[in-house]
Amino acid sequence: MMHHARTRAEAAWPGRRTLGLAGLTIAAVALAACGSVAAGSGSGTGGGSASTTSSNTLVIDSTFDLKTADPARSYEFTGELLAHNIYEHATTFEGTDLTKPVPQLTNFAWSNGDETLTLTLDGTHRFADGTPVTAADIAFSYQRVQGIQGSPSFLLDGVTVKEVNATTVTLTTKAPDLALPAILANPSLGIVEKKLVLAHGGSTTPQDGAEKFLNTESAGSAAYQIDSLSITSQIVLKRNPYYAGPKPKWDKIVIQNVQPETQKLNVQTGQAQIALDISPQEAKSLNGGGTKVISGISGFTVYSFFGADKAHGKAAADPNFVAAVRHAINYQDLLAIAGTGSVQAGGVVPVQFAGSLKSDPSDTYDPALAKQLLAKSSYKGEPVTYLYASDVTVQGLQLQLVAQAIQADLAKAGINLKLEPQPAATYYSTLRSDTAQAALAYWGPDFPDASNYLAFTPGQGVAVRANWTPASATGKLVAPYVTAAENAPQATRDQAYQALQAEMNKVGPIIPLLQPAQSVVTTTNVSNVVPSPMWLLDLDSIQ
Amino acid sequence: MSHQQALAPPADQVRGRRAHPLARYIAARLGISVLLLWGITLVTFILTNLVPADPLAAVLGDQAAADPVIVAQYRKQMGLNAPLPLQYWHYLVRLLHGNLGTSAQTRNPVAADLATVFPATAELSCFVLVASVLLGVGLGLYAALRHRRLADQVIRFASVTGISMPTFWLALLAFYVFFYKLRWLPGSGRLDPTLTPPPHVTGFYTIDAALAGQWSVLGNALGHLVLPGLVLTLYMMGLLVRFTRSAILDVLNEPYVTAARAKGLGPGRIIVGYVLRGALLPILTMVGLAFGSLLSGAVLTEQVFAWNGLGQYAFLAATKLDLQAIMGVAIVVGAVYIVINFIVDLLTGVIDPRVRRG
Repeated sequence: MMHHARTRAEAAWPGRRTLGLAGLTIAAVALAACGSVAAGSGSGTGGGSASTTSSNTLVIDSTFDLKTADPARSYEFTGELLAHNIYEHATTFEGTDLTKPVPQLTNFAWSNGDETLTLTLDGTHRFADGTPVTAADIAFSYQRVQGIQGSPSFLLDGVTVKEVNATTVTLTTKAPDLALPAILANPSLGIVEKKLVLAHGGSTTPQDGAEKFLNTESAGSAAYQIDSLSITSQIVLKRNPYYAGPKPKWDKIVIQNVQPETQKLNVQTGQAQIALDISPQEAKSLNGGGTKVISGISGFTVYSFFGADKAHGKAAADPNFVAAVRHAINYQDLLAIAGTGSVQAGGVVPVQFAGSLKSDPSDTYDPALAKQLLAKSSYKGEPVTYLYASDVTVQGLQLQLVAQAIQADLAKAGINLKLEPQPAATYYSTLRSDTAQAALAYWGPDFPDASNYLAFTPGQGVAVRANWTPASATGKLVAPYVTAAENAPQATRDQAYQALQAEMNKVGPIIPLLQPAQSVVTTTNVSNVVPSPMWLLDLDSIQ
Repeated sequence: MSHQQALAPPADQVRGRRAHPLARYIAARLGISVLLLWGITLVTFILTNLVPADPLAAVLGDQAAADPVIVAQYRKQMGLNAPLPLQYWHYLVRLLHGNLGTSAQTRNPVAADLATVFPATAELSCFVLVASVLLGVGLGLYAALRHRRLADQVIRFASVTGISMPTFWLALLAFYVFFYKLRWLPGSGRLDPTLTPPPHVTGFYTIDAALAGQWSVLGNALGHLVLPGLVLTLYMMGLLVRFTRSAILDVLNEPYVTAARAKGLGPGRIIVGYVLRGALLPILTMVGLAFGSLLSGAVLTEQVFAWNGLGQYAFLAATKLDLQAIMGVAIVVGAVYIVINFIVDLLTGVIDPRVRRG
């Protein structure tokens, strides 16, 4: 039957004519495509080179997590990059030195038993419309962050903001908070132009309506201002003509949302000059030729915790079990997975911050000691459920690989770790339900000060995930160290935080694992790219 | 006789209008479409609420999530305090006013976000559809007419290859070869980063650039369409080739084709007037489904090519647990399928009277 059909078709339709018609169709489509190619190829592949020469445009590839460009609401990495570079702050940090805040808009001084921080405008700074920055702008910006009650509001909890005169603002707390100068450098505490923001619905209450305006135009005094912004695809920045600092090199900066795989090819072809999200492992092959890799240490602390209460931790709540885990983990193997530039910190505070612990005997690889400690514990080989986010990478480091490596290490010591991967969409909810028996998690700094890591102490944010309370036996052991760190004067503050971390390592359920590397890949025609753990890049210094 | 009675048309005319098969057919299809759309809202709402995750986890940072005042404020803002049926009712009421809620991810109205990203996907889809139909139907027809000969085997092999290659892999491969290695085509995005998009009229960069007389932008936008378009076309074309070939082969066996030949009609008339016409309905259905799937957003292709369309928006919404955006995307995708099916049904009814009479 089929043979018959074929014969009929062949007889009815001469092949040459069919070929001609089909060929014509294909040719028409190909012509259209070729037209597109011809039109696109010149500007497309030349886009990178054109951007570096004629239009003086810097193109940066990044994976967006942007939600808003309003600094008082923004608390995402892309938002921090943006807010740091379009808004000036009372203080800042220079280069990679995160141990000492320095003046940006204001000088600062303590008084009243370190309970009042006085900010005094340092020289004349101007917003992008030429209006000078005043103390009123600073006070309004801080009060707006407090009043909106968004993600960054906690930064100024318990701080009374007062405009003293045109150049002076005071920040008062009920007890000394020596971290305040460091906190003020947080990108969310960027100084906005009060008059402009008020004119566009701004206020210092949750009803503030200036977000839409701040997503389309910026009201800052830093080197750049928003030219156009799409939350999901692209940010275009242009220079602030009134910027008080040295004139930045680039007239225009385009930050585009691109997946890491595509970033790699973009930077290799020159379509982008900087790629922010290429993993350290992938970046290895990019050092040489037309690209270079700039490596730093990220500000992330990757850590594990085990439920400190019997109800959730079960056998893992035994301090001897946690101590065994600390010595069963091969930290060097984890660093090999994390790539060049990653480090093992001695405690939860990143090594770049004042008060960090460079190493600690409690967190060392010693399989024999691990087995010894495990034998002392109440653990009898039952599975311990280990929660982690299967689709999350921290600076390119896949948490899944870390979880698998830890599982293998613990198995050698006789611990049966049962992995429980969850997508990020449900992982955070599970984590915040405070019911996990054990988990792998990470923490990015809110500000570069050891006091930010009090969240890991009994009864505080991170410790609550592990149900580690001040009333527990180990909580009581740590409590005096917490008090000492909180009340330490500047001179002994670093030592107090180091002692606190050492004690937490000795008795606590939270195990700091590593700080991943932060790799930035650039083309060789840009220089002075300095990765920052706090706000990714200082755009005005890039040459 | 009342005024109404005086104006009333004769009974047979009323009966005639009511009985018009095409009108009844359209009305029935329209009614089904509305019901389907409502069903989609219900299913989407139930499914998004079944996700074992707190929407606040996606919105608030660790520190803010630990502050009960902030949590309470956000729960109120997002309407999460009301019981689920009431939340659904509020959602339906808002939906009827064209309000799809506010995206937790972008903080924009979801409708505004979708209005921004949908034209990007639609532009790519139209490009792919035109290329796929021309190539797919043309090659499918040719393969059927050269049944079991070398050309048929080659086309079948090519179509199976197009269908079976994973799109994300093909996208990466095309990107690597044509953008990175050969540098023939531009890479990611809808335009080079140094260019400014044309003034918004339709959201199609090609059309908007042409309307604005920005020819270099038009050329650049067309160039950026080629690579993602090629990847999607290979898949769609493969589907259409197979479907068209099979439909044409079925028709070639029909007695009316034999009769046409026996009447001495020329091959061109037989192919156009009998074979293609007979195979049109299944091909039309397939083209409709293919267009629907394209308009629903090619998630992986859009990710690889940083194409800021519906697929990329849906991907971000899903990974960030942006429930309002997820529901908005689901409703738009559902509506797209319903509208396209509705149009296909109408065309089917117009082309084949048996359908509307049935």
